[in-house]
Order: sequence, then structure tokens, then C-alpha cells
Amino acid sequence: MTTDTGIDTGIDTGIDTGFNKVIERPEIRSIGAYDFPSRSAQELYGDDQLVHVWYDGNPWFVAAACFRAPKAMSFGDFWAALLVPYHEEDPDWLASWTPADFEWGLDDAPWTPDEGASLASLGVGHKSVIRMVKK
Amino acid sequence: MTLTPDKPKAKARKLSMKERYSALTRDLDWDPSYVPADEMFPYTTFEGIKIHDWSKWEDPFRLTVDAYTKYQAEKDRRLYAVLDGFAQSQGHLSLTDASYLNAMKLFLQGVSPLEYQAHRNFAYLSRHLNGPGPRFASLCQSLDEIRHAQTEIHTLSNYNKYYSGFHSYLHMHDRVWYLSVPKSFFDDALSAGPFEFLIAIGFSFEYLLTNLLFVPFMSGASFNGDLPTMTFGFSAQSDESRHMTLGLEAIKFLLEQDPDNVPIVQHWIDKWFWRGYRVTALVAQMLDYMLPRKVMSWKEAFELYFEQQMLGGLFQDLAYYGIKPPRDVGKAIQEKEHLSHQAYWILYQFSHAAAFTTSVPSDETLDWLEEQYPDTFPTYRALWDKEKKNVANGGRHFVRGLPQLCQVCQIPMGFTEADSPFTICQRSVVFEGERYNFCSDGCQNIFEHEPVKFRQAWLPVHQIYQGNCGGADLGDVMQWYGMQPGDGGEYLGSPDHQNWLRWHAQADHSELGED
Repeated sequence: MTTDTGIDTGIDTGIDTGFNKVIERPEIRSIGAYDFPSRSAQELYGDDQLVHVWYDGNPWFVAAACFRAPKAMSFGDFWAALLVPYHEEDPDWLASWTPADFEWGLDDAPWTPDEGASLASLGVGHKSVIRMVKK
Repeated sequence: MTLTPDKPKAKARKLSMKERYSALTRDLDWDPSYVPADEMFPYTTFEGIKIHDWSKWEDPFRLTVDAYTKYQAEKDRRLYAVLDGFAQSQGHLSLTDASYLNAMKLFLQGVSPLEYQAHRNFAYLSRHLNGPGPRFASLCQSLDEIRHAQTEIHTLSNYNKYYSGFHSYLHMHDRVWYLSVPKSFFDDALSAGPFEFLIAIGFSFEYLLTNLLFVPFMSGASFNGDLPTMTFGFSAQSDESRHMTLGLEAIKFLLEQDPDNVPIVQHWIDKWFWRGYRVTALVAQMLDYMLPRKVMSWKEAFELYFEQQMLGGLFQDLAYYGIKPPRDVGKAIQEKEHLSHQAYWILYQFSHAAAFTTSVPSDETLDWLEEQYPDTFPTYRALWDKEKKNVANGGRHFVRGLPQLCQVCQIPMGFTEADSPFTICQRSVVFEGERYNFCSDGCQNIFEHEPVKFRQAWLPVHQIYQGNCGGADLGDVMQWYGMQPGDGGEYLGSPDHQNWLRWHAQADHSELGED
């Protein structure tokens, strides 16, 4: 690639951006055994997990939200108890909106959440990203 | 028996500076005979770097202890004279505005503690590198870094008497969400091996990015009436140029010692450019938004200090060794039109949990930003127009919850795609059954090389949710952060703003007199 100030950097930045890409453990160079657990493993949250909600197309919220929610929580409860109180701070949010006003995605794939089903049964995992776009 | 003193001999010839330097370094070096060399220097092989001849290290500067202390004492005397004069004359009242000090709060909370950490690690290098030349150069830098930490703290302590947000910077540095960005950056370097540290801090931080990290704060001080910080900046400048030559010598030495070192060093350049560049997001927003009197835009600074000086100069020279520019440099170039706007928008909507204040930019600033960024700022300006309406209706945009963080840089994930610059960039990989989220290809790439290291990241949002930060509600967390009322939130109406108006109103009345 060439910069707009005319400098040829001669590099290609291709990376596999597949959202569910599984990576292997690479070789570790260290002064001794080096194997420590994740500081955010799901077990640290008991029956709960972290769930991200990305309101795509609405720049009012500079980043996706991160919630701690029970795995068994229904999507309807998640919407009413966590998602709406966070997003209604946007002056353009309408109290009449329901999940049907949005298109949904889960971890980069189209998704149709059933309000009565639990997050876990809907495939929402620890640190998953739920994407919502206003229809 | 009495001892008679020896008769004074002929006066010894005074050694030249070069001879004294040689005596101090090479003459104080020896080959170990009680233990093998790799037992005396146990940390210089595990990273895979091959050094065949430490004597090939060319000392980038020749300093002796007496010369060093003499220079530094002179500079300290000049700085302390300025500090005294500024304090005695109530110099803080001649700043452009109290809001300027938000930049200095960020500096004291985020940067000064890194100087201390740099001091520690250069002290470690001055013990653990095999060669006497790099050991002594590291010792000098170690002394510089602790002096910088001390003089910065001393310089900014005067503002702590009058302004909020300066009081608990060390406590905050270890705990607060936005300070985990610079802290985790440096912890990553401290927990690496000595050669990676040399490339991470000695080269990438002190050479590649130093003008973007350090100069904007000092120029900002000079443009906004902050004489003490400006004087500190001058005092540190001669040290910084020494640090730059050390960083450059370090990389050339590693590359010349063995061709097998080249790919290792290339990966460290790729990694540490991106790690350091992500930290500069804090500098970018400071330049474009926090300074009441502007110096230059982030875009101009990036083009001058990075594109022209580094890509156009340094990397042309490093090409000789087979070194390419950092792999994600293209993304940084594309982001120069966006970075400051996205970073300030993050800080603006989370400043209720910060030890600095933010505010809607003035119309003058909005116009200036539009001149500097004609292609991109109109889109960001629309957000400020929406917020102005929100404020007029009695609102203030503070997010009611916690954001998604990047596992590597730890910044709330507000950065966007290169090919769709107003769409948030979402990346993720799964490692040993757990998902990890990233703000960019650069951060994802770093994780993929060291997942076992980065899965231990202390992410502030996750730690709050685990109950490790004082409690479940915002008040508990603020208390655990060491924050006091008035440290953060909106600038207009804050204690700093009210005091500023009161102090200046009083001064005005005294000049107007009775009539």
C-alpha cells in the first residue's frame, strides 16, 4: 500500500477476520512453565455470562455495551431489564420500540431471537456479540 | 609508631572524557570465572535472539557519572526556579482556561507512572544485559526515567492545591478503566524479555512514537500558559534524544548480530507499533479537544512526526536489514481522520467515571475541527449537534452502563472499519473454548501470537462485573477508584470551572475599582 503522502510501505495487512475463528496455542518463549488461566473465564461469573450488545448504525453509543446476564434469562427479560434501560438514554429512542423493530445478528450471523427462550438456548455464549440494527 | 603521609607524587595526568568513559564501562567488565556466563546472565537467550559479539555494540553516547549528575543538577536548578516563580506569582491564573488542566491530569495519571516503570526496567537491563556498553546506557536511562517521574510529579503538584483530579494519580493508575490502557501497555513490556523490552520501549516507544506521545503535551503546555510543564519538557528533551539514540542502536545491534533475529524483531515492531499507537488515542483527543488553544491537529502531528519522519526516513534506512514498516501502519494512516473524534467521544460519554472533565466543544473548536478534517468531521459534528439539543433539554450524555473492551488495548471498542469508517470494527477469536473480542486486526494479531499472556488481561469492565472493584454500583466503584466529587463529569459547572470564574471575577473587580 502507498500512503497519501506518497510513501510505499510495501505491506499487505491481510488477516482472517472470521468471527468464530478458532486459534491454536502457539509456541511460548518464557523463562519457565507459562500457563495461566483466563482472568475472565465464564466460571468466574457463576450462572451468569457476559453479553455484548452492539447497536450497529447508531453512533450515539460509541461502543457496544457489555452486560452480565444469567444464561437462563429469557431474551424478553434481557430486552426489558438490561437492553432498554441502557439504550433509552439516547434521545431518539422510542419507548414503543420492541425487538420486532430491529434486525438481529449473533456473532456475525443473522439471528432471530425468541423472546420466551433463554439466552443460552438461543446460542448466546460468554462474550458473544448480539448485533441490532434498526429496521 | 607514627605514620607519615606519603609525599605527594607527581600529579596524575587527568584522563580524557573518552578514557574515563572507557574505564567506567569496559574496565569494569569481566568474564565470570566462578559461574558460567549464562548463569550470570540468565535472561538473554530465551527469547530466541542470538548475540555473537557484545563488543560490537557501539555506545550511542559517552557519559560518565560526574558529567551526568552535573548536567542534570543544572537542569533541575533551572526547573525549580521556574516552579517557585510560577507558584509565588499565582501563575495558574494565567493559564488559557482551567479546562486545559484536563490534559495534565491525563498526563500525571497516565504517563508519569510509566516513567517510573521505565526506570525499574532499565535498572533491570543495566544488571542483566551481557555487554558493558548497553548496561551503562541502560543505567543512564534508568536514572533519567526516575528523574522524569519525580520532576513531573513535582511540577504538577502545584496544581493539586487548586484543582481537582490531581490527588490520587498512583492509586488511580492501578485501578481506573481508561488508565488501564497505558498501564497494561507498559505491564506487557515489563513482563517481556529484555530484548523485547528494548524494542518495545527503547525503540518503538522512545523512537518511533516519542514525538507523537511526548511533544504534543509539551507544546500544548507552551501554547496554554503552562510554563512549569513547558520547562520540564525542555529539561527532559536532551534526555529524550539520548533515549532515541539508544533505541536506534539497540535495533541495529540486534539486526546486525544474526539474520535469525530479523523476523523476531519484525514481529516486535509490528506488535509494539500497534500497542503504542493505540495508547496515542489519548494524545490524539487531547490535541484536538482538550487544549483550549490549539497547537496542531492530530492529523498534522501524525503526518509530520510519523509519516514523514518515520515512514519517509527511518524505515527507508531499516529496509537495508530487511525490516518492513509495521504491518498495521495502513490502518493507523486511515484512522488519522477519525482517531481523535472517536477517542474524545468515548471519554465524553464515560467522563462521569473519570478523574478529568469533558464538555461539548465550543463552536470555535467545532469550526476549527471542520477545517482540519473537512472529509470526516461533518459526520462527527452531527453527533455534537444532537448532544447540544440533548443538553438544552436538560440531558447530558453519560452512558448508563459499561462498554465492551478490547482484550488487548483495553480501550472501549469505539474504533471503526477501514473500508466503512463509520461502522464499529468487531473482531473475535476463540481460544481453548473461550471467546475474546478485539477492536482491530492489529489487536487480534497480537493476541493470536500470545493468547496465554493476553487472556490474563485485567479488563476493568470484567473486573467490575466479577465484584473486584469495590461493589456493584457506580458509587462503590468510584470510591474504590479513589475519586472525589468534582473529579470527573461535565466541565461546565464543575468545581474547577466555578473556582476559575470566581478567581477571575475577583481579579476583574479589583482592577475596576469603586466606580
